[in-house]
Amino acid sequence: MSRALGGDRLREIVAPALALQADGVLALAFHSWGGLTRFASSQIHQNTWREDVEVRVMAVADGNRVGVASTHSVDAAAVRKAAEDALAIARVSPPNPEFPGLAPPADAASKQGFDAATAEASPGERADVVRKALAELSSDMTGAGYAETVADEVLVANTLGVSLFGSTSRAAMSVMAMTDDSSGVAELIEPSLSRLEPATIAGRAAMKADLGRHPQPIGPGRYTVVLEPAASSTLMQFLAWLGFGAKAYLEGRSFLSGKLGQKLCSDLVTIVDDPLAPEALGLPFDFEGTPANVVTIFDKGVARNVVWDRTTGKKDGHSSTGHGLPPPNADGPFPLNLRMEPGTTSLEKMIESTERGLLVTRFHYSNIVNEKETVLTGMTRDGTFLIEDGELRHGVNNLRYTQNALEALSRVQAVGNVTEISSELFFGGSRAPALKIEDFNFSSATTH
Amino acid sequence: MDAYLRELTERALDVARSAGATYADARYLAEEWESVDVQDDRVQGVDRGVSAGIGIRVIADGAWGFAGTARLEPNEVEAAARLAVEIARSSVPLLKSPVRLAVEEPREATWSSPVVEDPFAVPLDEKITLLLNASGAMREVKGLSIAEASMDFWRRTSFLATSEGSRIEQVVTQSGAGIRALAINDTEVQMRSYPISFRGHYACRGFEHVRAMDLAANAERVANEVVELIKAPECPSKETTLILDAPQLALQVHESIGHPIELDRVLGMEAAYAGTSFLTPPDRGKLRYGSDQITITADATIEGALGSFGYDDEGVEAQRETVIENGIFSKFISSRETATEIGESRSNGTMRASGWDVIPLIRMTNINLEPGTSSLEEMIATTDDGVFMSTNQSWSIDDKRVNFQFGCEIAWEIKDGKLGRMLRNPNYNGKTVEFWSSCDAVAGPDEWGVWGTPNCGKGQPGQTARVAHGTAPARFRNVHVGVRG
Repeated sequence: MSRALGGDRLREIVAPALALQADGVLALAFHSWGGLTRFASSQIHQNTWREDVEVRVMAVADGNRVGVASTHSVDAAAVRKAAEDALAIARVSPPNPEFPGLAPPADAASKQGFDAATAEASPGERADVVRKALAELSSDMTGAGYAETVADEVLVANTLGVSLFGSTSRAAMSVMAMTDDSSGVAELIEPSLSRLEPATIAGRAAMKADLGRHPQPIGPGRYTVVLEPAASSTLMQFLAWLGFGAKAYLEGRSFLSGKLGQKLCSDLVTIVDDPLAPEALGLPFDFEGTPANVVTIFDKGVARNVVWDRTTGKKDGHSSTGHGLPPPNADGPFPLNLRMEPGTTSLEKMIESTERGLLVTRFHYSNIVNEKETVLTGMTRDGTFLIEDGELRHGVNNLRYTQNALEALSRVQAVGNVTEISSELFFGGSRAPALKIEDFNFSSATTH
Repeated sequence: MDAYLRELTERALDVARSAGATYADARYLAEEWESVDVQDDRVQGVDRGVSAGIGIRVIADGAWGFAGTARLEPNEVEAAARLAVEIARSSVPLLKSPVRLAVEEPREATWSSPVVEDPFAVPLDEKITLLLNASGAMREVKGLSIAEASMDFWRRTSFLATSEGSRIEQVVTQSGAGIRALAINDTEVQMRSYPISFRGHYACRGFEHVRAMDLAANAERVANEVVELIKAPECPSKETTLILDAPQLALQVHESIGHPIELDRVLGMEAAYAGTSFLTPPDRGKLRYGSDQITITADATIEGALGSFGYDDEGVEAQRETVIENGIFSKFISSRETATEIGESRSNGTMRASGWDVIPLIRMTNINLEPGTSSLEEMIATTDDGVFMSTNQSWSIDDKRVNFQFGCEIAWEIKDGKLGRMLRNPNYNGKTVEFWSSCDAVAGPDEWGVWGTPNCGKGQPGQTARVAHGTAPARFRNVHVGVRG
């Protein structure tokens, strides 16, 4: 039986909120369900499923007083109470001269990102994916990771007539292969379960773990690095957090404040936020009800745009680009579907062209050292290798990087010809290629 | 507790057992929240909501399964209970050994955290006024760029029923608030927070906790500091003596002691995501984790602390354990499953789930650096050359919790026993055991306090736990400060 509720049912659910006697109402309905099968020590140890619904209501009083309340019940009385709470909050809130009003009706691009077979995948299907992955590991390796199948339905509706419905599905798998003294990881995130290839993912992880056996210590310092897509994504996602949104830009907190039009990165670097791409996991509209636009952040190294919502757009005389987050939102607009455009160089060619350097599979637990200078720190993990004379020599103990991310992107020597979606500890997913960067700073080393 | 919800929760147990579960627990949880954000002279947002649902965790054929639903109709809850058993059975072909749980006596109990003034009963306009007053006081200071103030409240009402017979109702009320002043120029963003960073200081208390902070009275000081800070010289890069204030010590304890002692990490259960630990079970009673100055407790019984509760989500009562005694490591924090794997007879009660829709995980409770005998004044007076750092700004640590790097909001140099110039962008780097072994002084009980950390992330799907750390200022020798990119 399908768990999907569909747009019409979600419209019924939010109807009591839209019927509220207020100056305006924005109602969002979220319905999500799916299973997550985690494995460690080569056995499934956490196997879960959940289904949630949320109705979030923003009510407007006196033209520009705003309140938000939500419920996780689809019961009409609960939705009505949430709407009444939102209005009561609005009435005691001070007027907000920056409130831009509700979004007018507009058509969003149509996008097919929902796969029913993925949305309804059984625990047995996820377990089978895990079994196929673990079968690829050699007998002296153990595997850890997850297989996930999830689906989301979203409705954004307001009293001006906006009524946008979208649904997405996602299948994801990560495999970490471990030996006594090494590990390797590979991950794949796709809209449908049928596109996951557990044996291929596990094979990549196992190859890295095998190659990384008997890692050798290596000192901190500046190295030429070949960052695999997951590591590239980390740099891009932190840059987005620090400065791709219009709120930080207008406040002067963003490293892009006052610098649009300037060349800040290598001309090999182009970054876009593209919710409309067929392979992107996002919706073709934002949570304010504005159709999503493709926004070019960096074009051949030149800073071109940030992303806007209705509040920041009103403040600066700019249109929303369709990047508003659900209300209330103190953080401003954010790009949820970032992609760094691919280049022309294969990962193998990057390694072959490196006299001495490091191959980094992914970063771990990165964080901000200096937000305006875009200095980040974090660790390498699950496959860090010394490159000498164009060949991978051996695994090395993990290193801590402390590096200005923007400067790193200005020293890009080659961009990979393949992009991958990667998840990051503190963010969602984004799509990036491998990058070859010179003089990447590692400030200390660890013991493994 | 509503009789219908109690019956529904118990019904889930019955269905799970009928479907073949040999163990089951069903947990109803309703969490109400309210948050208010102010920036400068504007309310950025007021959010109020409630999330309620039932999560059913089972063991069937020796394997775990879990299903949670917000759809609180009998047929949906019953379907979730059957699905939990189906999920457990799907794990069996890849099961190496059946799950065994440490024995726990079933109990019927109720527990509530202490509340003097119900935060949800305080009028919203009073909360907004309190925050706008604090923000306004910061904005009086010339040179300030942004003033922020916020508060958050949660009330968790839960009912846990287990197939072993436990029936536990709890109501936990949590409150927190804070202010932050920012100064921005062309090259720098500097910030100062009060009482601590990342939205402030949180506790298992009512609105009295917010009133006691007196945000407005501290606003001008915080704003003045940040305006001075952005013009201050940068923290030098060198190896030196480092003194940390209590809130920064709280995060240092969190990352380099709290997470490594989680037994699920030690056993590899979080290996692929958050990582493992440098600790191993044979380290108990043997490993020197730090100097004699370092005694660490895990104490879920501290009244009003953010990591306190009556019973964990496996029905195990809150406990106090000594984790490190005078530098020697002795105990992990555990669950009923993991305790048996290392031969412990009982869980020490740290399994908590962030919501009804996720399984409980081993989470920190209140992990505390016990007070010493020194004082901040004495530590500074007996330091010839060093740096005093305050208030966490960033954190990072490797996947075995060895190599860490922390940034703080502000620092002052120490010269010849006295605090000197203010320093901006202070940070420090070290390795866990080496760092704790370099501690030669911890301040005494008068300077000891419990600091709430409401944003501890772990697990997949991601869960956020509210934990706390009791700390006092402490001194560390030969630390690398001023790491540059």
